[in-house]
Amino acid sequence: MTVQSSPLAVVALACAALSAAIIVGYLILRPPLGPSSRIWLLFGLGVFPIGVAFAGNIQGFEATKERQFCGSCHVMIPHASDSNSITSVSLSSRHARNKLFGNENCYSCHADYGMFGTIVTKLGGMRHVWLYYTEYRNVPIEEAKTTIHLLKPYPNDNCMQCHSTEGKLWLEVPDHKASLGDVRQGRVSCASAGCHGYAHPNFRPPGEAPAEPAVHPAPTDSSKTDAGSAP
Amino acid sequence: MKPPPPTSRLVLVSCVLTLAAVGLMVWSLLDPRPVPVVAAMSIGQGLGTASLGAFLYAVGADLRSRYVRARAERESARPRPP
Repeated sequence: MTVQSSPLAVVALACAALSAAIIVGYLILRPPLGPSSRIWLLFGLGVFPIGVAFAGNIQGFEATKERQFCGSCHVMIPHASDSNSITSVSLSSRHARNKLFGNENCYSCHADYGMFGTIVTKLGGMRHVWLYYTEYRNVPIEEAKTTIHLLKPYPNDNCMQCHSTEGKLWLEVPDHKASLGDVRQGRVSCASAGCHGYAHPNFRPPGEAPAEPAVHPAPTDSSKTDAGSAP
Repeated sequence: MKPPPPTSRLVLVSCVLTLAAVGLMVWSLLDPRPVPVVAAMSIGQGLGTASLGAFLYAVGADLRSRYVRARAERESARPRPP
C-alpha cells in the first residue's frame, strides 16, 4: 500500500503538515503564552500530533502486513521474490496469486490463528527485527538461504484457517482422507516434502539438504486455479 | 538579554520534541521499513507523549502563576484596616 493509495496516510501527512506549520510559526513569532497562542499550540502540540499517531499507527500496522515490508530485510528477498514471481509454482507464490491473499500473503499465512493471534504475530515480528539487526544483517543471501529457518514447525492451524479440512472437495482427496487425524493434530505438516512441498523453494528444515523446489505442476489458468475456494 | 521564563522554555522544548516525533512518524509513512515503523511507534510516540505532557504542564504552571499573581495584586489593592 503506497501513501498515494491510502487515505489514512494522507490524513496523517496532512495532520503532520498542520502541526509543523503551527509549531514553526510559533517558533518564529514567539508570541507570549496567552489564551489564543495556547489554543493554537494545543492543536499544534496535541490534536494534530495525536491525529498523526492515530492514522500513522493504523497505516504502520497495515504496512507491516505487506510482502514488500517482509522483503525489505535482504535475507527475505529470495522468499519475497519467489512470491512475486508469476511463474513460480511454490506454495507461497500460488497463494500470492490468490486475490484473497495478494500482497499480504506473508502475513496471511504466518499470522497465528486465535484471539490473540495478531498480537502474538506482532511480538514475533519484533523478535525477527531484533534477530535481523543483531545476527543476520551482514549474512549473505546465499548463506541465509540455508541458515535461516522457522523457530518452530509451521502449524497446520494456519493452513486450516482457510482449508478447514471439513470441505467435501478436500475430503475427496485420498491422501487427505487417509491422514485426516494426523493433519488436524499437526503430526503431519501440510507444507512438507511428502505432501504439498515446502512453502518456499529455498526453505528446508534444519539438517535437511536443499532439494529441488516445487512439487506442484504449474497452473494453466491462474484465474481459476489460484483465486478459487479453499475447501 | 533577559532569560525566558521557565514555562516558555518548557513550551520551546515541547515544540522541538513534537517536531522530532512528527518527523519520525512521517518517515515511517514515507518509508515503511522495519526500522522507521518501529522507531515511529516507540520513540516517536514516546517523544510525542512527553512533549504534550510538557506543554500541558507549562500551561498549568503558567495559569497557576497568573492566578497567584492576580490574587497577590488583589490583596495588595485591598484597603488595610486602620
